[in-house]
Amino acid sequence: MRAFLKGVAASVTALVMTAGAAWADPYAPYAGETLVVSFPAHPHFTAVMKVLPRFTEETGIEVEVDLLQYLKMREKQTLELTKSRGDYDLIAYVVFSKADYVYADQLENLAKYFMNPKLADPHYNADDLIDAYVSNISLVGGEKGYLPGPLASAYGIPFGSETSILGYRTDIFEKHGLTVPETYDDLLDLACRIPELEPGMGGLSSRAASGHHASHAFLLHLAPLGGRIFDEQWTPIVNNEAGVAAAEALKTIVGCGPEGAQTFGFAESGAAFLQGQTAMFLDTTVFAGQVNDPTKSKVAGLVGWAPHPMGVRRGSQTGGFGVAIPRNAENKEAAFLLMQWLTSPRVDKMIALAGGNPSRYSTHADPEVNETFPHMATFGEALKHADPDWRPIIPVWGKINADLGTALSKVLTEDLDIQEALDGVAERARATMDEAGYYTWQQ
Amino acid sequence: MATARVKRMTPYMFLAPAAAIMIVGLLYPIGYMVYASFLDWNPSQRIGEADWVGLRNYVTLLHDASFRESVGVTLTFSAIVVSVELMLGVGLALLLDRNIRGMSALRTLFILPMMIAPIVVGLMWRYMYHPSVGILNQTLKSWGLEPVPWLSDSGWALTSIIIADVWQWTPFIFILALAALQSLPRSALEAARIDGASGWQQIIHIKLPLMMPVLIVTGLLRLIDSFKVLEVILVMTNGGPGLSTEILSLRISRTASEFRELGQAAAMSNYLLLILLTLTIVMFVYNKVVESRAQAIRQQAEEV
Repeated sequence: MRAFLKGVAASVTALVMTAGAAWADPYAPYAGETLVVSFPAHPHFTAVMKVLPRFTEETGIEVEVDLLQYLKMREKQTLELTKSRGDYDLIAYVVFSKADYVYADQLENLAKYFMNPKLADPHYNADDLIDAYVSNISLVGGEKGYLPGPLASAYGIPFGSETSILGYRTDIFEKHGLTVPETYDDLLDLACRIPELEPGMGGLSSRAASGHHASHAFLLHLAPLGGRIFDEQWTPIVNNEAGVAAAEALKTIVGCGPEGAQTFGFAESGAAFLQGQTAMFLDTTVFAGQVNDPTKSKVAGLVGWAPHPMGVRRGSQTGGFGVAIPRNAENKEAAFLLMQWLTSPRVDKMIALAGGNPSRYSTHADPEVNETFPHMATFGEALKHADPDWRPIIPVWGKINADLGTALSKVLTEDLDIQEALDGVAERARATMDEAGYYTWQQ
Repeated sequence: MATARVKRMTPYMFLAPAAAIMIVGLLYPIGYMVYASFLDWNPSQRIGEADWVGLRNYVTLLHDASFRESVGVTLTFSAIVVSVELMLGVGLALLLDRNIRGMSALRTLFILPMMIAPIVVGLMWRYMYHPSVGILNQTLKSWGLEPVPWLSDSGWALTSIIIADVWQWTPFIFILALAALQSLPRSALEAARIDGASGWQQIIHIKLPLMMPVLIVTGLLRLIDSFKVLEVILVMTNGGPGLSTEILSLRISRTASEFRELGQAAAMSNYLLLILLTLTIVMFVYNKVVESRAQAIRQQAEEV
């Protein structure tokens, strides 16, 4: 009898202790689990890898990372997500995958996790997440289907998000008494004036290679110059005045750029700036981390940053990555805890200090972060004008994007007439959209 | 009776494992691809969820200007590459078919390009073609010549990838042509020499005709391979500028991964398969005709 009582007492004590531990530590029930996550090989995630061991230390949850080049990562994810039981518990996805994954019903809606008091951290402060990124990366089901709206809900959280920013050589600007361009007129003027002032140097580094790169460069100019790919009825309007102006801007920039700029992808365009072959750089913020690294850059300490110049409106790009939980994940709750931990204000700052791209306003304004990376305040300012709708996030975009990029490459290398090229793109885009059913409700 | 039947069955039983492997390893994937080409299938769907669209993918492709341009690029690329490689490879083999000291070392050197991974070949040539830091343009500049827009002009870009492919694959033809040359019957060559045939006459009337069967197979192998080359072009130009270097295999890969249209990619692969099949059959028929004509002549000669 005594032995029995002893046993009961021990069990009760053990139970109370477990319950107590669960109350004290929301991570305890998941300690010892191993999460498999899919991340891209990308500067932000290099920073994340430095911080990630802290998660295991603090929570006891192990994390295994599958790191792949981002297009390869997307291919592998596409396969994994169609399996009935996937290998990944958490994935980082490229913005344009949002359309594919959510449409195929492959991501978890995050509402049930944020509604669960045992999982949701009351200090998470979602208001602090940068609005344009949340609109662009997290929310689905509102305006146009891929933007926020009264019926939208979240399927992911911005993580490693980027916007476009203008980098310029302070020494060259000082030497010739140039002012940092604030408008597109100034930018285009300077882009072609610099090669005259500094023979052998290109004005502005831009991508231009056939396909995705040319299209990306064009879209960077399209939003500020007042253009869009589609109007509200999904009619292609890429060939209107603003579209032609954006293509002309791209042609001017590439024409006044470094030698061979017509074939530059992102890597070559960045390298040209880092090697001192151009005086300006206009592309994603993720590039900023390399500028002051003397092993990669000949222009360390000579680069200033300014917001993306304004055309008829302000509109820098929104891109990069988000994190989401696959529907077929095995450890969804623990995955949510990791996701919440990674995107919390405290860890967002830790990752920023390790060289990543923060997704919170508070991190951009943080004095410690700004002391280490003085450009962060400018980036925070630029983010206020980031345009979540600078390119459509619809499943057929890949095809239209490639066609646009090919047509623009022909404009840049074969002197195809801009209006003719964009008319062709609009016509083919219309056919693609029609086939995909975007005009079903139009009479 | 029963033993007779078993005896008759025996060869089939021995063939069965090979046939099974053939069916699983060869016919199943091709059947899968043919089936997929009739579907509207994006990679986020399982194959069972895809809609059946009949021949729509094939019809769409026929009306697709980009696809037609891509077929044109592929045919141009393959025709030039295979003819240039055949000429160079056979020429080299004829030149080096003699006893020179260090010949084996030379031969190993010649086949080195073939052994390099295609991605590396692509990267290497991309850097050599680089407009400002590439060795080619730097050399041209140091000679006081105008630099060439190797990869940034649509005309030059195709030439550039052809040069790279010729560099990598001429050795393949060289090796096989050399092997063919060395196995030629010495008696025929000796007879020709005694009859006073010059070097050129020996090549044109004896060596080349005797090498022909090997050369046709070699050419065919290269042709099939050149239709499928992907990595080198992917790394060097990614199909650009415009669509000037987008050969069919690159377009198939982009259709599957970028445009996310697996059905259309499968239909494109089937078109490619058909083109290759036709070319192969034409080549073999031609070869058979030539051979049977030779046979007839030989018979006539024997009768006389």
